[in-house]
Amino acid sequence: MPTSGSVDRRGLLKIAGGSLAALGLTAAGCGSGSGSGDGTVTIRYAWWGSDDRAKRINETIALFEKKYPKIKVKTDFQPYLDFWKKFNTQASGGNPPDVFQNAIGFLRKYDAKNVLLDLNAQVKAGHLSMDGFRAGLETFGEVDGKLLGVPVGSNSMALVIDEKVFRKAGVSPKPGWTWDDFDAALAKIRDTTGRAGDSGGYGVMYLYDLYLRQHGKAFFTTDALGFTEADLKEWWTKGYAGVKSGLYSDPKKVAQVRPKSALAAEIAGCEFTWDNFTVRYTSEGKSEYGLAPIPTTDGKKTGQYLGSLMLSGSKRTKHPKEVAQFIDFMVHDPEVAKIMGYDRGVPATVAQNEAFQPTDQVGKDIAAYEKQLVDTGVLEPITPHPAGADVAESAFLRLAEELALGTRSVDDAVKQFFTESKTAIGF
Amino acid sequence: MGSTVATRRPAAAEHLPEGSPPGSGPGGPAAPRRGHRDNLAGYLFMSPWITGFLLLTAGPMAASLYFAFTDYNLFDAPRWVGLGNFTEMFADARWRHSVSVTLWYVIIGTPLKLAAALGVALLLSQQRRGQAFYRAAFYAPSLIGASVSIAIVWKAIFSDDAIVDRVQRGLFGMDVGGWIGDPDWIIYSLVALTVWQFGAPMVIFLAGLKQVPRSLYEAAEVDGAGPLRRFWNITLPMISPVLFFNVLLETIHSFQIFGSAYILGGAGGTCGPADATLVYTCYLYVQGFENSRMGLASAMAWMLLLAVGLVTAVLFWSQKRWVHYEEASR
Repeated sequence: MPTSGSVDRRGLLKIAGGSLAALGLTAAGCGSGSGSGDGTVTIRYAWWGSDDRAKRINETIALFEKKYPKIKVKTDFQPYLDFWKKFNTQASGGNPPDVFQNAIGFLRKYDAKNVLLDLNAQVKAGHLSMDGFRAGLETFGEVDGKLLGVPVGSNSMALVIDEKVFRKAGVSPKPGWTWDDFDAALAKIRDTTGRAGDSGGYGVMYLYDLYLRQHGKAFFTTDALGFTEADLKEWWTKGYAGVKSGLYSDPKKVAQVRPKSALAAEIAGCEFTWDNFTVRYTSEGKSEYGLAPIPTTDGKKTGQYLGSLMLSGSKRTKHPKEVAQFIDFMVHDPEVAKIMGYDRGVPATVAQNEAFQPTDQVGKDIAAYEKQLVDTGVLEPITPHPAGADVAESAFLRLAEELALGTRSVDDAVKQFFTESKTAIGF
Repeated sequence: MGSTVATRRPAAAEHLPEGSPPGSGPGGPAAPRRGHRDNLAGYLFMSPWITGFLLLTAGPMAASLYFAFTDYNLFDAPRWVGLGNFTEMFADARWRHSVSVTLWYVIIGTPLKLAAALGVALLLSQQRRGQAFYRAAFYAPSLIGASVSIAIVWKAIFSDDAIVDRVQRGLFGMDVGGWIGDPDWIIYSLVALTVWQFGAPMVIFLAGLKQVPRSLYEAAEVDGAGPLRRFWNITLPMISPVLFFNVLLETIHSFQIFGSAYILGGAGGTCGPADATLVYTCYLYVQGFENSRMGLASAMAWMLLLAVGLVTAVLFWSQKRWVHYEEASR
């Protein structure tokens, strides 16, 4: 025993030495990864989305790393809400990802907090091209002259419908239909199919924004809300009446099926959301899903604009050049578009848009829908989203639900929304 | 006590006049040096804990106490607002709502859980076959119960057209739907989840029940006391220290409920339909991590600490009236 013990100890020492050496090697490997060494640089790329998007994104990254062998990309993804919690914590700790997916509602917020990289310098240096974007999209990520985000795709608000239900009810929405037509359609769906028409548009901030824009207002101004308490009271009074009369889905049922959408769960005939979400509904539900135009007030104006997901860099990145090269590749390379499809909306650049021709029905519908928006000329410039817009959005959704459930009166919900928005936006 | 003496010794030795004969120190010849070395070793062994405590507990707590009086969004430097966060908190209807949800949960959930734990402990304390299996089986839920996956399973069970809904309709003819989407019912599913995890207090009750001398029961039986009377007059007073311990622990525990409420409620800015499961820590999390108001969240955390401290003090004060310790240990 004693002998074997000492041998063991020596053996252990050897193993320890070996592993220390190995550690040293790995450390060296790491060092060269993030620093210079052999010139290889590692950048961190964070985004939100589903597993399906993860597969596509990994493919695009493999392509990127093949083309730029000196740049390695580490990814990190979460669902939308968790993404922002993690990002917020990382960014405040001075350790945000080098490049990340971004959206309009967060541009001013994180610009005010000095988190976003102004990509203009990289454009000047020739690492990132802002040419060849589809109409209006090249300036989408600009705030006060700074280029804070580069659009990867465009989408627009739409009414996603369950085609079978609409056919059965004999409703066929046409461009230019009015809110009265829409309400009549919901009633028809309720009466003929026994299913509520809409899943709860009264709580969708982006839809209310369109409605306000049809009336010459907007949800946000640069530093406040763009509507009055009386405006919102009118919108929510109508919404609540719709819930009571069964035009809108029972909010209890909507809460039950979450995170699945009410439309895919067959408790609503249609739902207002972004047009590229049709992809999601098709994989979630059993029916056929199509796109219908946004109802109007005057038969013409829908208030629509192109929204977009963007890629942004972090101001604290040690590799702004590589970040710019990465973004450039992701928005211009035609192969990337073929892999991503319409997952993040219609590709933002002309080259990518031409490279991907959808062959499936859903993709074709989205392409046709966005083409029709351009052709009918309803698109308008987007209105600003002040810092705090994200908090106001979640308050809007929550209070609309409370009101629909009857735990809060319309007056009370409106008052509470204005109080919370004032705190969040600071006006 | 021993360590205090040991720390004093070297200091005393230092004050000895130069050249005084060895052995004239208070602790004998070798004592000062050994004491010093003992202390050093002691501190050395404790250092991981001390470091951890200072870096991970005391430091953050001090920081949090400071942030509680500031407006702090994680990015900009904290701005001193004095009691601003506290006045805002009290004026916030949503905060008051979260307080009432939490109190309701504590007041309903804790007694039910303890009753379940005591009831099952009474059954399991009797000698019968397969006892070890039953104990393990009843304890299991509290081992896995805190996990996210169980909260998700729970959500599925209490949804529309799931087991609970079907049983309600089939057996009782009640058509109230699943509990998850209903602001009036969802809290009960949360209570059911905590009651189901009665394993930990049950094990403590079991240990307590074992300590009750059998002779007391025998004497009572001779005197003609029935099972209920024996429970009321012997078991309860005898296990009251254990009961007190469990009440204290479970109450504190209930105040801190977070994970299950957050997941059951659907997460993401809403904690349950119409904020029905917006427990205190849920709202704290929303303010801190979703609204980036770390100052306010810190103030809320200290408020919770105060409240739990107050409740604990009341429980300790009340124990004089109902907790019976054996004469010898008094």
